[in-house]
Amino acid sequence: MIKAWQRFALSWGWLILLTLASVAIGQYFQSSPFSALGFIAMIMLIIAMKGQQIIDVFMELKHAPRLWRNIMLAYVVVVPFIITLIYL
Amino acid sequence: MANNSLSSTDALIANAPVCRPHELKRLPGDLAMWFFILAELTVFAIFFIGFAIAENLNLVMFAEGKTQLHKVAGLINTIALITSSYFVAISLHAMRAGNNQQAVIRLGLALMFASVYIVLKLWEYQALFAQGIDIETNTFFTLYFLITAFHFMHILLGMVILAYMAKNAYQGKYNDPRSENEFSGFESGACYWHMVDLLWIILFPLIYVI
Repeated sequence: MIKAWQRFALSWGWLILLTLASVAIGQYFQSSPFSALGFIAMIMLIIAMKGQQIIDVFMELKHAPRLWRNIMLAYVVVVPFIITLIYL
Repeated sequence: MANNSLSSTDALIANAPVCRPHELKRLPGDLAMWFFILAELTVFAIFFIGFAIAENLNLVMFAEGKTQLHKVAGLINTIALITSSYFVAISLHAMRAGNNQQAVIRLGLALMFASVYIVLKLWEYQALFAQGIDIETNTFFTLYFLITAFHFMHILLGMVILAYMAKNAYQGKYNDPRSENEFSGFESGACYWHMVDLLWIILFPLIYVI
């Protein structure tokens, strides 16, 4: 069974990896003919994935009442989704 | 008769579902702090959406503005805040395990990484001012300074809260077993800090990367 500190360490590693991935994607797409919308959608997806890690692991909302967890998860999904729609 | 009654009670207790403390659905920290967090998130959501709309209306200006920003500094700040959040999370874990000394050390490390953010952000501002760029330069920099400075103030407040938590942990103020939820104050402060991290995770790609 995974220990608490290991869970936090794994989450930290995943967050760093996603951060580096978003910057690398940004660098790649600056000199690429791919659609800007696809690039923005990828970055927004990474934001949602990172947000979920912080909410569930660091904030410990995975075992919180469902309403509060859903409100917080909705934030990291809805805000990036609206931003993507604006750039359409 | 009395024996029968006793044995049926025993049977009820034996068959009752076991509810372990870690399986209970519980909101960490004070409810008031969570309403405060929601209010803060709403304000920042308006800022983020406003920034995206303004960018859509001024694509060239925003693209030029973004080239003036220091992406590497933004990346280092992101790593510093994530690492700081990690130390706050494991500090709470140490508190629950009754290891106050370890909790204080971890909070100290969280504050150290938060200081990296403060120093780099001030350096970024100073570098922009040296180029003659300020809040009145154009719409991009007005929004850039407004959003990042507002977030910067939240970091400063968060650092004061973390320092206060470290002081209380050092003095053993979170270990009062008479309290209904002895770590509630610690959890509230920790969740505030994670919220500040969460906001930067949206802010950094929106302003620096896209």
